[in-house]
Amino acid sequence: MDLDTGNTAWILVSAALVMLMTPALGFFYAGLVGKRNALSTLLHSFFVLCLVSVQFVLWGYTLAFGPSQGGLIGGLDWAGLAGVGPEPNPDYAPGVPHLAYMAFQMMFAVITPALITGAFAERVSFKAFILFTLLWSTVVYAPIAHWVWGVGGWLRVFGAIDFAGGTVVHISSGVSALVAALVIGRRLARTEPHDATMTVLGAGLLWFGWFGFNAGSALAANGLAANAFVVTNTAAAMGALTWLTVSWIHRGRPSALGAALGAVAGLVAITPAAGFVTVPASIVIGLGAGTVCYLATLLRPRLRIDDALDVWAVHGIGGTWGAAATGLFASVAVNGAGVNGLFAGNPDLLVKQLIAIGATWLYAGVMTAVIVKIIQLTVGLRVREDDEVLGLDRSQHGEIAYQHD
Amino acid sequence: MEIAAFASFAALVLAWIVLPVRSEAPAAAETAPEALPEPVAA
Repeated sequence: MDLDTGNTAWILVSAALVMLMTPALGFFYAGLVGKRNALSTLLHSFFVLCLVSVQFVLWGYTLAFGPSQGGLIGGLDWAGLAGVGPEPNPDYAPGVPHLAYMAFQMMFAVITPALITGAFAERVSFKAFILFTLLWSTVVYAPIAHWVWGVGGWLRVFGAIDFAGGTVVHISSGVSALVAALVIGRRLARTEPHDATMTVLGAGLLWFGWFGFNAGSALAANGLAANAFVVTNTAAAMGALTWLTVSWIHRGRPSALGAALGAVAGLVAITPAAGFVTVPASIVIGLGAGTVCYLATLLRPRLRIDDALDVWAVHGIGGTWGAAATGLFASVAVNGAGVNGLFAGNPDLLVKQLIAIGATWLYAGVMTAVIVKIIQLTVGLRVREDDEVLGLDRSQHGEIAYQHD
Repeated sequence: MEIAAFASFAALVLAWIVLPVRSEAPAAAETAPEALPEPVAA
């Protein structure tokens, strides 16, 4: 099969854009923690980038995208990328090297467990974090990616749609974050964000990388990619404007952190819908994301679960809203290969989306509880109390982020 | 959908116009003239 050089270039550039999102997430999270945990929080994201990059080429990719085993998981045929080379795989990306498609998917597999690290920030031991990431990427991420995107995956066959990862990336990480935070327990003391400028910088870089995440998911440099690009930008903007406004109504002042968190909420919500909805619909999706995710942050303290950086509220709830909104607003006028949603006269899609949401919540939640419990009973989850008070930068890594405490 | 999109944005703009900003100005004693440093003599 001939290569399409334009599409190949776009996929490779998109993979690089998505790669940037993981260190960007590190900055976003590091600004939200106390100064004694800034470096360890940055390292969590950077380390996941390294760890999952190797895990994915060895066995992650084949479990997610290899020949389907009953629609549940990929076979081991492509372990170590055997048979994954410069020739295209027409099942996934015609005209694009299979290796380029794998690289693009690898960056999604990288950022998803990195998202969860915000839930157990400032108290998890580094060993537990490594084990969790490796197990979660294998046992939770790979199967869900196969269900939704793998050829023969049961949710794909069922007819649920997810353009760039509302279920695979955001619901799975958000729900897992809540469960992990529940099992690991609360921090000894809550800290204030130590550097909001770092968080706003991280949000800006995430927004930039998200163009690769969503527009790259068109897997071609075409009109669908352009639609995904514009709805991504619009929903991010509306998410930021809405969160800032709702928090202004609630707390009396427009917040810089609120704008940053709202932009990410808008980006999360448009992710499953980016290749299926119109630009006006993305305004409504961004509005909903900024509202429901902010309200979810208010609910979280009442649950008495210390999801330190609101991963569940932004990714779990934002992803759920986005996946449901796809069932409401999808239109074949945007994507002829897609399906119509409720407002285009097809209520079946919304039902399928809700089933996909429920399956992802259930599987990610249960499996994460099992993984975290296993780690708790073997190497332990938390650092010692005096190490937590000292901060993870010094106690776990023997380094500090800043010379002046 | 276009109407919902325009209405959403209009609602936000209206909110920015009417919402007050809660001030957290320091207490009067902290900003009293006597609390400020003495001016440097020319």
